[in-house]
Amino acid sequence: MASAREGLSVIKTEAYGPQIRGGESSCTVRISATPIHAQADALDALVVFHWADFARFREELTLAKNAVVFFDAADAAPEDMGMYRLFPIDFSARRGAKNIFALGLLSAVFGLPGDAVRGAIRGRFAKKGEAVITANVEAFDAGFANGLELAIGADKLDYVATTPKLLMSGNDATAIGAVEAGCRYFAGYPITPSSEVLHSLSEWLPRLGGSCLQTEDELAAIGAVVGGSFAGAKSMTATSGPGLSLMSEMLGLAAIAEVPAVVVNVQRGGPSTGIPTKSEQSDLWHSLYGGHGDMPRVVLACSDVEDSFHATVDAFNIAEEFQTPVIVLSEQCIAQARQTLDPESLVHEVLDRRIATPEELETYRRYRVTDDGVSPMSIPGMKLGEYQTNGLEHDEQGRPSAMYATHEVMNAKRWRKLEAIAKKYGHLFTRFGPERPDLGILCWGSSAGVVREAVDRLTARGHRVAAFAPRILMPLPADEMQAFIDAAKSLLLIEISFAKQFHRYLRSELVLPRDLHVYARSGGKNLTIGEVMTEALRALAVPVMNDEVLA
Amino acid sequence: MTDFNYTPNEYKSDLKPVWCPGCGDFGVLNSLYRAMAELRMDPHDTVVVSGIGCSSRLPGYVEAYGFNSLHGRALPIATGVKMANPHLNVVVVGGDGDGIAIGGNHFLHTARRNADMTYIMMDNQIYGLTKGQAAPTTPLGDKTKSTTYGNPEAAVDPCALAISFGASWVGRGFSGDIKGTAELMKVAMQHRGFAFLDIISPCVTWRGDDQHKEFRARVRPVPAEHDRTNMPAALALTNEGGPITTGVLYDVTRPTLIDETVEIRDKAIALKKVPTKQELLKAFM
Repeated sequence: MASAREGLSVIKTEAYGPQIRGGESSCTVRISATPIHAQADALDALVVFHWADFARFREELTLAKNAVVFFDAADAAPEDMGMYRLFPIDFSARRGAKNIFALGLLSAVFGLPGDAVRGAIRGRFAKKGEAVITANVEAFDAGFANGLELAIGADKLDYVATTPKLLMSGNDATAIGAVEAGCRYFAGYPITPSSEVLHSLSEWLPRLGGSCLQTEDELAAIGAVVGGSFAGAKSMTATSGPGLSLMSEMLGLAAIAEVPAVVVNVQRGGPSTGIPTKSEQSDLWHSLYGGHGDMPRVVLACSDVEDSFHATVDAFNIAEEFQTPVIVLSEQCIAQARQTLDPESLVHEVLDRRIATPEELETYRRYRVTDDGVSPMSIPGMKLGEYQTNGLEHDEQGRPSAMYATHEVMNAKRWRKLEAIAKKYGHLFTRFGPERPDLGILCWGSSAGVVREAVDRLTARGHRVAAFAPRILMPLPADEMQAFIDAAKSLLLIEISFAKQFHRYLRSELVLPRDLHVYARSGGKNLTIGEVMTEALRALAVPVMNDEVLA
Repeated sequence: MTDFNYTPNEYKSDLKPVWCPGCGDFGVLNSLYRAMAELRMDPHDTVVVSGIGCSSRLPGYVEAYGFNSLHGRALPIATGVKMANPHLNVVVVGGDGDGIAIGGNHFLHTARRNADMTYIMMDNQIYGLTKGQAAPTTPLGDKTKSTTYGNPEAAVDPCALAISFGASWVGRGFSGDIKGTAELMKVAMQHRGFAFLDIISPCVTWRGDDQHKEFRARVRPVPAEHDRTNMPAALALTNEGGPITTGVLYDVTRPTLIDETVEIRDKAIALKKVPTKQELLKAFM
């Protein structure tokens, strides 16, 4: 928070077990004076209060060669830590505020903004009274003094304070995006890792004249969203894999009844309960294809915290304009990570529903067949707009029909909307790196940030590497993506799905070369820059030492 | 709709019901036209929501906004409609299988919330649309297409469920009594909060021609001395076995979902004001 106020770039990720309260946890923070797009692979500094807890995360944490390690003097360091710069600290002698003391220590050693941290401490404990604030500031100062005494020759953060940044999580940005888009009704059922969206909107929506409902299950959540939207409110729910599974049938209803509905699905490890607290990109197929019948839907993906905001507003814009369900795929590692962003970046054009005009209501047909498939919508309360909507196949007036001819015409009408969306939103992709690269990398979601950092490093080493990450997955920006594929000398596809969901999806939609390199693995551990570089150099046929990649 | 005179006939849409001749649902529909007319309900301000089943076809036959949705999910959709626009009259209709089997969880929670709507259940003790399988309301021992050797499960009484779930108004009607049922509907639709009306509606096709006669012989009006604010007394008029008591069984006043929503809104604005985006973002600075 203090670094964000100084205008620095920060990414903070957390790892924790399934405990309800307490238990071991780890928190990784990367701070930089220049823009960053992913968590770093290797830790420069490590603070360990209990080596037993550290052991639980050992496999998931990589330490840089000259890493500085602070640990409790009362808890002897394991022998295999001998290669690092170890500093025993009297943590357990302190009665409280161990975390804050450690923060002071790190600030002194790495040149973090001390005054800004003190300010942040005051803000953090403002509600708890002066005594608590004083105790924590004193703990910080004591840690700071201790850090100076150690006289460790570590690289210090070199920066000039600039405009303050915001520090928020993907779920925060999603909730802000919903408010920005004009969402005034939210219904949801608690589920990790998306519940923070419910928390934020249950606080904000009533203040904005809207309302929020915690439902009995996800079936009811999406039902209430469809009902709220039918009645004219921009409506949304947020969930994770198990909830999305339950919502499938109702999303089909939203598609055939042509009711706007936004579902934010924060992916976690699956199937079933899977790994609720960690990331994976394995709800792609379900989002693209889940549900029975020929059901059109739109799927967007967000690549980082800031993009969670934009994807949410885009989702509402598309849902409202085209009267269709839209699924936004987020990931635990975006939704529950904190990242700095520029407040000015949180601006996005907002579009509204095509409401039937008085002239259209004179001879109103709710499901009138049109060129782009969108029929003007009436809202309960509007005179002459009365119609029955239906999960049954229906004619232009909404009357149930079991006739083939009607079904064909109506399927075509509903699917034409996807063509219109593809035209209007085909720009929703991220591409970086040179034209005609030696290696093109295909990825999506959170991988985009990691790949971007890897591409920067590979470029700095003289390699011609580019990457393409679609931000709209259904309909796919197929032409742009195919052009990228055709222009690259070799191709690498990266995803966090054991079943290679993205790869197989692209195979069904695009022409991919037979010798495409595919790097697909299970979630439960976030993708690292080192992994991408290793795979990229392998695809480029460049021999590589592991140390070299991580440096 | 320029000269709408609020006659029962004007609430008829031009769609003809698909129901079997003699189906109890015709009586329910006619009662609804009559009740809506007498309450002078504006079609454009009324939403009739249903799930799936024979009786769930009803919204299409009413001149109003209608939503024939998914099997078991009418109540959550109706809740969304009401919360999004509390000004609308929300009427939910459907069968006993739709509301108690597949949709049972929503019945519990919508009643518990005292959501502002009228829920009319057309109760025929059978699955009609799927052609004659046992429902949660089918009496123990009855032979149906799915219970060849007799229904092994005890039936539930929808009114007993509604009262225990927290509905603030519970009544029972009989489709053979169009006038009486219309009166009950009027009271139900004027009730503030969740009003549940169970209407015994015979299925001539799957329960036989005698079901109508049998029900008619069993129905009796609620005793004049019944205290409808007394929950044990109301529950005593459910699961009776022989007689079927019709009328208002239970009627209490408690805050509704919309009352609570409005109160939360007022409280939130009084405490924290209507925020601008910049103010919301302050939490992240």
